[in-house]
Amino acid sequence: MAEIVIDVRDVSISLGGHSIHRDLNVSVTRGEVIALIGGSGTGKSVLLREIIGLLKPDAGHIDLFGQSVLDSTPEQMNVLRRRFGVLFQDGALFSSLNVEDNVATPLFEHTRLAHGTCRQLARLKLDMAGLLPDAAKKRPSELSGGMRKRVALARALALDPELLFLDEPTSGLDPISARAFDTLIRLLADSLGLTVFLVTHDLDTLFSIIDRVIVLSEGRVLGSGTVTELKNIDDPWLRDYFAARAPEGVNAHGN
Amino acid sequence: MGVTEARAYYDEAQGALIVSGDWHAESLAEWPVLPDSPSHIIDGAGVTQLDTNGAWMMLAAAGWQVSDPLPELRAFQPQHQAILELVARHSGSTAMEPGPLHEGVLALTGRGTLVMGKHGLGLTNFIGHLSTELIYLVSRPSQWRWREFGAQLNAVFVGAIPIVFGMLFLLGVVFAYLLGSQAQQYGANIFVVDGLLLAILREISPVIVAVLVAGRTGAAITAQLGTMKVTEEIDAMTTLGLSPMAVLVIPRVLALLLALPLLVFIGDIAGIVGGMLVTHEQLDISYYVFMDRVADVLRLKTLLVGLFKAPIFAVFIALIACRMGLSVARDARSVGEHTTSTVVQCLVAIIILNAIFTVMFVRLDI
Repeated sequence: MAEIVIDVRDVSISLGGHSIHRDLNVSVTRGEVIALIGGSGTGKSVLLREIIGLLKPDAGHIDLFGQSVLDSTPEQMNVLRRRFGVLFQDGALFSSLNVEDNVATPLFEHTRLAHGTCRQLARLKLDMAGLLPDAAKKRPSELSGGMRKRVALARALALDPELLFLDEPTSGLDPISARAFDTLIRLLADSLGLTVFLVTHDLDTLFSIIDRVIVLSEGRVLGSGTVTELKNIDDPWLRDYFAARAPEGVNAHGN
Repeated sequence: MGVTEARAYYDEAQGALIVSGDWHAESLAEWPVLPDSPSHIIDGAGVTQLDTNGAWMMLAAAGWQVSDPLPELRAFQPQHQAILELVARHSGSTAMEPGPLHEGVLALTGRGTLVMGKHGLGLTNFIGHLSTELIYLVSRPSQWRWREFGAQLNAVFVGAIPIVFGMLFLLGVVFAYLLGSQAQQYGANIFVVDGLLLAILREISPVIVAVLVAGRTGAAITAQLGTMKVTEEIDAMTTLGLSPMAVLVIPRVLALLLALPLLVFIGDIAGIVGGMLVTHEQLDISYYVFMDRVADVLRLKTLLVGLFKAPIFAVFIALIACRMGLSVARDARSVGEHTTSTVVQCLVAIIILNAIFTVMFVRLDI
């Protein structure tokens, strides 16, 4: 029986008077690469922020690695934070630090290693994220969108987390960079044994690297399973969603 | 978490580095003492945990260089071996780098000079751009941004009146008080009025008001234009066929050009009023006598010298602030740096210009 890494039970939240989640249940086991999809405003990012402890739901339980996120003390939460990495939508790099120091920051803060060693480890992470060595001394403002995502990925991986959260990792990238980024995520997930939880709109990502898809609709989980399984669900939004991708002989409409 | 620290020792008999325990970033604060020569075998039978940080440290502990063949990995668990091989493949760029050079005073002076030269050049270039834009606009009065000009004038002038009045009033008080306590000893009470007028109108009011406006308005202009640059508003404006010079820069320059002399005049009045109150209290010079003396000794020239400096300071403040704002790079840090630089450059410009004016007026006998 595989270990359950993320366990969301009966979570409800309303923001600004709107009910976003109603008794939502999601669980992810170790080693899975999971995608969360859903229309705009269905609370995908809200769910992500709840899981990583940035937002507190009104009711329900959220466990990471078997430990409650909602009832943890700040110290316990800090220990927990070292076990997961987050890649924010636009990278969220620190503009006052160069690339290398951006990646080394978690190591500076959470380990007792010498700063020189931290920077060497940061360059190892940058190399794993597919960046050339000459990028290390640049500032985030000098990088292209794809490179910023890679730096952010390297920073998320700095402390060798077991769990990686990605918020729309391929948004804003051109199709070629996006596919390369997908491949990179899958490669790292496989070689480092990561569990990956990503929020996405990108159909190509779903078809290429995802083990299981979770669909959010009207505050609940509409369905979960492989892409092929989801196509059998009769839901107008899902039908339109898969219809958006005509090629590859996928007969999304069923007619 | 069961804490088994990372351990390593060198086994001379086998010529192997024997490693065991948990190898990850948090367990590796202290390095084991190891021989200088690289180990060709790493024995990992006792390794319980290994991540990429730990793997890199393990290879470093074995004295492995990127150019060398990978040491023989003996008795590792398969997933640990895979991580070590992955890390070895990606270690190409992790060689220890020399720390940054510490620069001496000479190098710093040289660098500073270059920066000053760059700012001078940039400002000249900016003035050129602005001039061509102005020439273009002279024949097209419909393209002047009067609304923006009005909004800027309100922000620069009306908003600054209380602080200018307050500061110059207090400076007038202080100046008259110090001058009075000296003049009293020689029975030269009435000459305090002469000194006060000369100092306030010629030097104190123009310089202090310019410094205030540089800190208040100059910084605001740079921060505002810089943030617009960061959010690509300025690029958007250009693509819509609006010239940032005409829409943003020229209204600001004109507003400052008009506002600063007016503020200096308000400062003049405030300083004189402050001095008048003090001379009344301290030296028993009645308001009537004070005003009579002002009418006697005040020459138009004294007032005009002060008012003449104001528009020149204004142009420099506006040009420096706008140029620094428009040359912000696209990150948050740059906005802060440029705002600081604006204030420093404006203050330096004001002090240097004022010194030049003082020498010039004395030589010209004005």
